[in-house]
Amino acid sequence: MKLRERQKRETRQAIIDAALRVFARDGILASTTAAIAREAGLSQGSLFAHFGTQEALITAVIEDFGKGLGLRLHELTDSGANTRDVLRAQLGAIAEREDFYARLVVESTLLPGRARDSLLLIQSAICFHLSPAVEADTLSGKIRPMPLHLLFNTWVGLLHHYLANRDLFAPGGSVIERRGPELLVHFLSLIAKGG
Amino acid sequence: MNLCVACGMPMRAKADFPLGDETKDYCIHCSRPDGSMQSYEEKASSMAAFIVRTQGIDEGAALGAAKSMMARLPAWKARP
Repeated sequence: MKLRERQKRETRQAIIDAALRVFARDGILASTTAAIAREAGLSQGSLFAHFGTQEALITAVIEDFGKGLGLRLHELTDSGANTRDVLRAQLGAIAEREDFYARLVVESTLLPGRARDSLLLIQSAICFHLSPAVEADTLSGKIRPMPLHLLFNTWVGLLHHYLANRDLFAPGGSVIERRGPELLVHFLSLIAKGG
Repeated sequence: MNLCVACGMPMRAKADFPLGDETKDYCIHCSRPDGSMQSYEEKASSMAAFIVRTQGIDEGAALGAAKSMMARLPAWKARP
């Protein structure tokens, strides 16, 4: 790769990383390009040379975050993982950037279409690992038979409620660290056969 | 690590590749039984069906989201 091309790519990534920190701190839609440029140590002109609109930047940040989360989930989940393993891996992967993920949960319905689709892609990456694990646990009688989308949405509804209100459930700290184990135990007991 | 050009899935193990062929740049989930790559319509339809089955959203919304995701992947980026 030529030096100029490499520098361009590195600057683009530095803007994405800076935007992610600012979005996590100030909110995705409330953040200004001035604050992001300042965080990245660049002028606003340089920022717009890489991302023509704020919408393009928001989409790039969510895609980059989703890709990282998907890869992390892949690393944390082996092929023989059961339902508990996958959900624990999901919690672990989200906890690494909980501040940003919580913003994404709260603001998802307000985001532009393509950015919102990225949240669906993140959920799909989780379902990719969860689906075979739930099927195996259902077949072996550990989990009650139920439609996968209801199982998944029940879990996500619970998890996202705690994330959206993390200031109440874990003021000043990580809600996943503080409440995650309890939520996991509770959810697994709900879906367990005889539970 | 290789990422599938058609769905973005990381491909690590031999079993992730179509018919175990590690020279392919697409994964087993994006291939047909004979090992060839699925068409755009086949992939969009299977991806939407997966979203409906696992997340329960409306079929039309799922197809729209699947096509939006695919537009970012190398195999489909060049489509008009």
